[in-house]
Amino acid sequence: MPQGRDVDERLLVEAAQKDPGRFADLYERNFDRVYAFVARRVRERETAEDLTSDVFHRALASLPRFEWRGAPFAAWLLRIAANAIADHSQRSAREKSLPEDGAPEPIVLKEVEHRARLYRSVDRLPADQKRVIRMRFGQEKSIREIARALKKTEGAVKQLQMRALKNLRARMSGTHG
Amino acid sequence: MAKRSLADQLDLLVEAILAGPGSPIPAADARLTPLRRVAAGLRGLPSQAFQKRLKADLAKPKLPVSEGEPAAPAVRPIREGFHTLTPYLSGPLELIDFVKRAFGGEELLRAPGSAGGLHCEVRIGDSIVMIGVGGKPMPTSLHLYVEDTDAVYRRALEAGATSTEKPVDQPYGDREAGVRDLSGNDWYIATHRATGLAPEGLRTVTPYLHARGAAEYVDFLDRALGAEEIDRATSPSGSILHAKVRIGDSILELGEAHGPYQPKPATFYLYVPDVDALYRRAVAAGAISQAAPSDQPYGDRVASVADPSGNIWHVATHVRDVVP
Repeated sequence: MPQGRDVDERLLVEAAQKDPGRFADLYERNFDRVYAFVARRVRERETAEDLTSDVFHRALASLPRFEWRGAPFAAWLLRIAANAIADHSQRSAREKSLPEDGAPEPIVLKEVEHRARLYRSVDRLPADQKRVIRMRFGQEKSIREIARALKKTEGAVKQLQMRALKNLRARMSGTHG
Repeated sequence: MAKRSLADQLDLLVEAILAGPGSPIPAADARLTPLRRVAAGLRGLPSQAFQKRLKADLAKPKLPVSEGEPAAPAVRPIREGFHTLTPYLSGPLELIDFVKRAFGGEELLRAPGSAGGLHCEVRIGDSIVMIGVGGKPMPTSLHLYVEDTDAVYRRALEAGATSTEKPVDQPYGDREAGVRDLSGNDWYIATHRATGLAPEGLRTVTPYLHARGAAEYVDFLDRALGAEEIDRATSPSGSILHAKVRIGDSILELGEAHGPYQPKPATFYLYVPDVDALYRRAVAAGAISQAAPSDQPYGDRVASVADPSGNIWHVATHVRDVVP
């Protein structure tokens, strides 16, 4: 990670340690990553949301005890997320394949970064494409529901969906192997 | 059969992806394979509403946490199933049976208490009450929201309680009754007639304090515990008829002591993110230390303080999970 980003992040962490109201900056910067990490391991949206919420609440509560040791703040958040997922899986006993050590592996981090970047890329789509993707994947609405809400034909919504996915692929293809 | 357009084929792929793993992926034009991968990455795309809601939630005031202590917690600071505030009742063994029979309580735990006697945890609706058997009785008052006040009132009397108020419709929309259990705890049984549910923010069981100098006591709760006043109704003379304060994720009700509603010091178990910080804050605000923070064999780090009204607060942070 570039040094400049480290410095920025360190300042953000220190600001939030002094004033919890500044935690919002760290939240904005890391929400997609944490959510992507959790969603990768947990199928149900509701559970993914509960766990993501749990991670940020735990992080906020523990922030005064966070010590900067050079690793990105996100690594600390993902460690908390791994523990939260492990706690959850122990309770639900559904996902027994989780490793016991909560530390995310490098390959996982790469995948998480990729998915978080994909989430962020949605925001940069043209407005009508963005709306379709948000409704289709974020709210899991059917093409018919989206067409009704946007006052378009179902065919037009499907076209927008395809254009949006092409756009996202083009944006991601620079680093996606 | 007419060949489907690429957009149609792509949507069938999206539909299968959204249906979740295990759903058969339909055959499609090979040109769509890269777009299918992008769509698979978007499965579970976070909803903006959730993202905004969580941001707002994180911005709400929190209980204080301490500085300079190592390592992130490995477990949630509140034990599974509990909320910030849990009433701690005390009485004879029969109190446990009374709560189960009268209020449909479900016994979750019965174990030797740390100060001797028995420690028991009983779930009532969406709440848990702790019951200590063998300690000094400290009867208190509790608000209990149920679906049918009349039925629960009858069951409580059959289980050995005495009536303090027969069921009656109150002008503020609740049907209410009162009973006193064999340990002297007052249970204010209520049904919100319009919804049948507890009012927003209240759970099945909400502790209710009658304080002498309620306004000063609300100030103390703010200074000592970070409690946030969320509702206050006052008499023309300015005394508090009814107030609600939020502590963490829980609500405590209170009012100025009057007539038959006199102070009855209560005991609470209070889960916080950092017991050491809250202990220091409470003592600095005028609470009297009963026990400094220490790790307990049941996985909580616990301190105890007495407040100026004589209520006992066992403040705790859950630090590790222990199999009972």
